[in-house]
Amino acid sequence: MSDGTESVRGADVFGGDRPTRSRAVLLVVLGAFWLWLLARWLVEWTGVPVGVPGEPFVDVALVGGPQTPLGVMVGSLPALAVGVYVTVVLTVVSIALGFVLAVPLSVARVYGAVSSYVSLSFTELIRGTPLIAQLFVLYYGLNLSQYFRGLTSFAGVTVDPALWVAVIGFTINSAAYQAEYIRAAIESVDPRQLVAARSVGLDQLDGIRYVVLPQGLRYAIPGWTNELVYLIKYSSLATFITVTELFTAANDVASETFRYTAMFTVVALFYLLLVLTATTIMSTVEDRVAIPGIGGAEGRP
Amino acid sequence: MSDPLLRVDDVYKSYGDEDVLKGISFEMDRGDVEVLVGPSGSGKSTLLRCVNRLTEVDSGDVYLDGECVTAPEADVNALRREVGMVFQDFNLFAHLSALENITLGLKHVRGFDDAKARERGHEHLERVGLAAQAESYPAELSGGQKQRVGIARALAMDPKLMLFDEPTSALDPELVGEVTSVMRELAEEGMTMLVVTHEMGFASEAASRMMFLDDGRLVERGPPEQLFRNPQHERTERFLERITRLHGEIE
Repeated sequence: MSDGTESVRGADVFGGDRPTRSRAVLLVVLGAFWLWLLARWLVEWTGVPVGVPGEPFVDVALVGGPQTPLGVMVGSLPALAVGVYVTVVLTVVSIALGFVLAVPLSVARVYGAVSSYVSLSFTELIRGTPLIAQLFVLYYGLNLSQYFRGLTSFAGVTVDPALWVAVIGFTINSAAYQAEYIRAAIESVDPRQLVAARSVGLDQLDGIRYVVLPQGLRYAIPGWTNELVYLIKYSSLATFITVTELFTAANDVASETFRYTAMFTVVALFYLLLVLTATTIMSTVEDRVAIPGIGGAEGRP
Repeated sequence: MSDPLLRVDDVYKSYGDEDVLKGISFEMDRGDVEVLVGPSGSGKSTLLRCVNRLTEVDSGDVYLDGECVTAPEADVNALRREVGMVFQDFNLFAHLSALENITLGLKHVRGFDDAKARERGHEHLERVGLAAQAESYPAELSGGQKQRVGIARALAMDPKLMLFDEPTSALDPELVGEVTSVMRELAEEGMTMLVVTHEMGFASEAASRMMFLDDGRLVERGPPEQLFRNPQHERTERFLERITRLHGEIE
């Protein structure tokens, strides 16, 4: 009893408003990052006269010239911004398509008879083999990029057809992992919920759709966010099938200038900002869809 | 209208080696309120679940309104549309408000549009005295309120028969009354009800008949006053004596 009151009071004394303050700082940093990205993209592709395509907003001479570590970093920013675009497209499209596959996979796994084994086999095959091997099979083995020769732009921006092979690879891979997170979440929904749905006269599929999934997917959000965070970072493997995404952009600059430490530090920072963006969005989503008594809402003020 | 609404014919059910129902037969007419009592493990809940096929019978048949519902080709979802069920632990849809708990079945089983479903949902919440709780989620309701939503949810589907599986057993004693009074009103309005309960007050006042089930067999059946005052079997007498001492006086 007294423990409870004590810790509550403790929280007040040691800055009860600290989470909101650090959150505000985070939002400002992320806001600045995305505004800069947006400006960069507009300059690169639509010629909005706020800068020159390929040139940073800051004069490199001001940070010690193009040869210094800081100069190399600043000079690489336009290329990195383009790399971020590819990484974001790759991640968002793959996670979304992967989700579309993962939901039926996980439902089949929990409720299916034969389909349960199909789903399990798929998941084990994909999780049990290296992602890089999967990408190589798709790109070099099956030469899938030949089918995407016509798809050289996305939202008006020129992209390499290899990007779509990477999207296929990451979609398949991510679907397997997402299916596992969603399966676990579905299994944590009280089975009597489905019995109640059936007792009202809903068939099995409608019961799953209207009763089990709305609860299970809420439980799945934290685990699913984990998968999103992973995907942002392992999308860098697309570099091995010639996709010029964020990591490739940094690596190219590094090998030209030999400023490896500087470039890998700045690219790490970029990934960090992308991951923080994703977790911030997902925690907002989690709060938005929270329902009293379901998952994350419990015990929250 | 000589056809019984519900006819249970020689129903057997076992789980592995354990025989739960050993040849149960009875009939209920429209408007009957039948209270089913018996010691724990006697097969009461299983019998109820056999009626709406949440449990499949091993042998024997169940007829609802003249139709064999245990036939392999019978449409189980169509059957459940006609039979409302109220659970011991409420089993409200945890992610839906009280109102949405009711409208879900109306929309996706009855095919109501949203506005019509909500209107009907509100009517039924009002009927169980929860008009003000329409937007509350199950986690925000008391046990008694949850169970009244459970009753409204089943009732809104306009069933021919209502099954109650120990509807008050999970409730704090002071909340039992609000649920049994809703059930009593329902009985007075002529709803056909098959009720598993230990609330002997409800049984003696609202039931048209009582059934005593023991060890998977129907031991005795008759009007409540007969079972209370003049039981034909010693087992019935002993059980009812014990249960009355625990669960309220006979009015």
